[in-house]
Amino acid sequence: MAVCAGVAAVLLAGCASMPDSGDLRDVESTPRQDAQVRVFALPPPDDAAPSEIVQGFLEALTSDDPNYETARKYLAGDALTEWRPDASTTVLAEGPNRYAVASRTQESDEERVYRLTGEKTARVDAQNAYEPAEGSYRETVHLTRLEDSGQWRIDQLPQGVVMGKSDFQRTYVSVNKYYFTSATRSGQLGTVADPIYVRRQVDPVTQMVRSLLQGPTRWLDPVARTGFPSGTALREGVESLTPDDQNKLTVPLNDKADHVARDKCDEMAAQLLLTLQDLMPTGVDEVELQGPEGKKLCSLGEDRTDAVAAHGAGNDPEFEYFIAEDKRLVRMPVRSSAPAPEAVPGALGAGDMSFRSAAVARDEDRAAGVSLDGSDLYVGSLATASSLGEPVVHSEGQTEGDRLTTPSWDGRNDLWVADRDPDNPRLLMLRNGEGEPVEVTTPELDGRIKAVRVAADGVRIALILEQDDGKSSSLLVGRIERESGGSGDTAVSIVDLRSVTPRLEEVRAMSWAGDSRLVVVGRESGGVQQMRYVQVDGSTPDGPELAALTGVQEIAASEDESLPLVAHSEDGIVRLSSGSQWQQVVENGAAPVYPG
Amino acid sequence: MSGDSAASAPGRPGPRPERPVGVNAESAGTQESRKARGSRGSRWGRILDSGLLQGGVQGSPVLRLVMRWVRRPLLPTMRLWRRNIQLRVVVTTLLMSLGVVLLLGFVVIGQVRNGLLDAKVKASQSQATGGFTAASQEADSAANAAGSESVDPDGNPVQNVGEWMSNLVQSLSSGGQGAFDVVTLADGDSSSGAFGPRASGGVDWERSVPADLRDRVGTGTGAVQSYTRVSYTNGRPSQPSLIFGKQVNDPNGDAYQLYYLFPLTQEEKSLSLVKGTLATAGLFVTVLLGAIAWLVVRQVVTPVRMAAGIAERLSAGRLQERMKVTGEDDIARLGEAFNKMAQNLQLKIQQLEDLSRMQRRFVSDVSHELRTPLTTVRMAADVIHEARVDFDPVTARSAELLADQLDRFESLLADLLEISRFDAGAAALEAEPIDLREVVRRVVSGAEPLAERKGTRIRVTGDQQPIVAEADARRVERVLRNLVVNAVEHGEGKDVVVRLAAAGGAVAVAVRDYGVGLKPGEATRVFSRFWRADPARARTTGGTGLGLSIALEDARLHGGWLQAWGEPGGGSQFRLTLPRTADEPLRGSPIPLEPKDSRSSRASGGAGAPPGGKLATVPVQAAGADAPARTAIGPRPAGTVPAADPTALPGSGARVVPRPTGSAHVPTGGERDGERVRDGGPEQYGRDGSEQYEQGEAFRGR
Repeated sequence: MAVCAGVAAVLLAGCASMPDSGDLRDVESTPRQDAQVRVFALPPPDDAAPSEIVQGFLEALTSDDPNYETARKYLAGDALTEWRPDASTTVLAEGPNRYAVASRTQESDEERVYRLTGEKTARVDAQNAYEPAEGSYRETVHLTRLEDSGQWRIDQLPQGVVMGKSDFQRTYVSVNKYYFTSATRSGQLGTVADPIYVRRQVDPVTQMVRSLLQGPTRWLDPVARTGFPSGTALREGVESLTPDDQNKLTVPLNDKADHVARDKCDEMAAQLLLTLQDLMPTGVDEVELQGPEGKKLCSLGEDRTDAVAAHGAGNDPEFEYFIAEDKRLVRMPVRSSAPAPEAVPGALGAGDMSFRSAAVARDEDRAAGVSLDGSDLYVGSLATASSLGEPVVHSEGQTEGDRLTTPSWDGRNDLWVADRDPDNPRLLMLRNGEGEPVEVTTPELDGRIKAVRVAADGVRIALILEQDDGKSSSLLVGRIERESGGSGDTAVSIVDLRSVTPRLEEVRAMSWAGDSRLVVVGRESGGVQQMRYVQVDGSTPDGPELAALTGVQEIAASEDESLPLVAHSEDGIVRLSSGSQWQQVVENGAAPVYPG
Repeated sequence: MSGDSAASAPGRPGPRPERPVGVNAESAGTQESRKARGSRGSRWGRILDSGLLQGGVQGSPVLRLVMRWVRRPLLPTMRLWRRNIQLRVVVTTLLMSLGVVLLLGFVVIGQVRNGLLDAKVKASQSQATGGFTAASQEADSAANAAGSESVDPDGNPVQNVGEWMSNLVQSLSSGGQGAFDVVTLADGDSSSGAFGPRASGGVDWERSVPADLRDRVGTGTGAVQSYTRVSYTNGRPSQPSLIFGKQVNDPNGDAYQLYYLFPLTQEEKSLSLVKGTLATAGLFVTVLLGAIAWLVVRQVVTPVRMAAGIAERLSAGRLQERMKVTGEDDIARLGEAFNKMAQNLQLKIQQLEDLSRMQRRFVSDVSHELRTPLTTVRMAADVIHEARVDFDPVTARSAELLADQLDRFESLLADLLEISRFDAGAAALEAEPIDLREVVRRVVSGAEPLAERKGTRIRVTGDQQPIVAEADARRVERVLRNLVVNAVEHGEGKDVVVRLAAAGGAVAVAVRDYGVGLKPGEATRVFSRFWRADPARARTTGGTGLGLSIALEDARLHGGWLQAWGEPGGGSQFRLTLPRTADEPLRGSPIPLEPKDSRSSRASGGAGAPPGGKLATVPVQAAGADAPARTAIGPRPAGTVPAADPTALPGSGARVVPRPTGSAHVPTGGERDGERVRDGGPEQYGRDGSEQYEQGEAFRGR
């Protein structure tokens, strides 16, 4: 009896209080709430005034109609057939202003002309590629009164879509398409991200797949290679693609993709998988390609993607590196919460030489260091304690600031460094980090290179270009083109340079911080120094602002976006892990870098 | 009036519509009540006629069939319901507790719901009001910021209201992700309000914002609050929610409608938690109460059931049965009292039995003891009697009287002895096959002298064939002699007819006289000991008063019946029915108790009267199984007045056709009742047989 009472008491006590122990369980991921504001387009009301028609049409452009059906209800005549909304998207600083202007003919009750004005900030072209733009926007919209119903409708209008910046950010989302770089390193395929903008609410999966099949955007096209045979498209009649319950997406292709080899097919699937995972990180785990008759060509799971291709160079960095107070290269593990810097093995960490800055190869076997005065570049192993030997590059610059910049390794183990000698400004590349440096031709470059960082894919390079006056500097991204010469040499050139941060007057430091993202420290004209992310196409990515930091000299970020930022600021070497504040690592140090 | 019934029927009055004789007052009372009931019944009938029963259910055989088909499986349940008090109590308890739990649940859930809603409404109200204020402040600041810049031809300071509105919704809704959503709608009659609706969080504005709320907000009277069901465009399930709306001005001074939607998801969850808890608790409470009721009723009902069983056995005569008594509670007290009662009953019955045995013994002893001195007295009296010629006339007359009374005394003593033998159960039947004709002949010839004296002729009918039965010749002769002598004595000089008949397993002898007959009720009393037809008549004449009693006992000893019938002034008939073989139960008699030449039969004109031979040949057993027989046995018709029948007392021999009033004259109308029942010939006979069968049963049960 007493035992029974005891057991009952224990059971009751267990039920009547909150548990303080228990078994372990997985937390089920709940889908993030969609907090987006939606604009519902309304069809034109009866007997609407011309100004209402124009405003309603502009409103409808910002809605989520898949094919702008509601917007088309405002059109009439030729505009109905000729207007192509996907031709381009013009982004204005604010929404377009409209003014009624006197028509060319007499002011009449049968037609009206409205002028749309605004300040352009960007343009998304037919390939969905974003491109910063400047200047004023002036277009006219012509309205006519329909004869049969007496309603006002638009019969002439500019091609494409126009909207304000905030509407653009609400309606569109930036996603990376992935292509293979035509330059491949031994065995492994490198990929390059090709950012595009798609409409957020209008079946982005299908949009992305279609865009991926169409090939890389114009800027990246010369150096990117797609795995899909040319002409490959979704099978006719396929309207929408949706992952099934097992997060598997089946992509039916047309007959161009028939009879592809197995490894080719894997490449295609890897491209799709990388692309879709960028769109929705947990949404797709497996991609299956289907031939014209529904035959399964191949399928690729998430776990096998790495075997086919990887983001950028494919190595995950293990350490962060910086120059310690004693001018030696030290490192610290990337993921430790309380890092303790230690000297790197090898001559850069233990030799007699003092260094100003350094760069570590992406496989973390070798490192390149610029001597304290900036005149010499050494390359040494991180594995063995061999001596450094002779410098591989020497600069003749007069002052310390006119000598070598911080070097950078790309994914093919080529080492890049710029010489700031005013008499002989040059950009050098050392194939495999050794041998005779190749001078890179920079036909479009106008000014001195202040910093150089090569992307892991080896086909994009980010440069900080200092104007001749020495005050203003801008961030440029260029494409690296290698052309094999007749004698085995390759001519390397950087073309199609474009400004990523047209608004920044002075750019102090930058680093790659993702497949198509850079972190930039700079100053707008009349502003203060700020640090922010920027897409390579010049747009501002979504996401939280970076915590402010003053006096940033150098910054380092990894292309793995989960790794912390490391900066050299007034407070020494500081680190910013995601979700926390800046934290000091050491008080004195300089030139923090991630491998690359 | 049904005619006859068993001589010793224990009290079945039979299906008689009324019984006017002897129970006049009662009869009148019952007639009154019946009249009342009749009028009530007629009212009922009217209702039924106009109502559904007569025209609906009873009118349609299909419906009745359906009703029966529906009711049939329910019948066992209904019987169980009627008979099982435990089931009734438990079911009632369950129903009542269920009702209370439901009521309680409604009240509690209602209160919790109101409390949750109140809290939510208060919190949401302040949030929404803040939002409305923020929206108008935003509009003012935007208007001020743009006021200095270019003014468009319409005079609106801000051109891009649409974009401003999107940003406003974004900023307002970012404050409470998941907690609320914001919707803006263009005001219906706004001059330039062509901007489309905006909604955060995937709210489907058209279905979520009710039209009447839109109209009300459109009047611009202030913030309005309502409830709605918010539905989403992104596939989330719709939810009940609280909605606040207000008309606010945009930077251009045009009105638009701003709505705050607060989904009541958490409140719904809390409420369903409460509901689940209450339902579980209610279920448990109901089951618990049912179990408690079952247990309690079981504790009470079990002893009651036991007591009922014991009482049934006691009433069946097993007086030694007792209840088991445990404990000291009320049930135990009941059991003790019950046992005491049973014990007292047993004791009293025992005492009564002892007493009656003692009395019988006493009578027998007294008879024996009187015999010896009587012999001496007899001898002395004989001497005196023979010498009476020598006495003076007065003394001689005394001597004759002495001898006469001594004869009577002797026969009385013999009869007493005989009766006491019957009472003691010492009478033994010496049955052998005898021809009743011979017995009858002996009896008739023995009674001839008396008959001659009375001027009576004794006729014997039905003696063409031998009528053989297994019987004690001496006893049968005694019975018949008694009957014939009685008939001659009371026959007033008219003929006495002795009829013999045999049919089925029975033989019968009926003795018919046409004398004074019997008054109603006397047919039973004639068999009582020391009963005399005419108390005024001196006891000097006639027998001892025990003759018919002994005859009845003799008939019983044979397993037969002795019954009497009579009508005042119409004579009487005594019928002895014996089984053809001893120990064979009687099912009927070959001769009807009421003779065909009775006044009622004669009054009917004899049209329906069947020939006597046919009556005798009808097999009694077959007739007994007939349908009319069953109706006779079956339950009493509702209209019958169950009046007590003084003639149907235990031990009564017969029933006399009662007279409506008095006995002086016999109104034919009164006889009609009997005659009506008498009609029907063989069937009627079968009915007789069945009733007699019942009587036979009664005899054997004794």
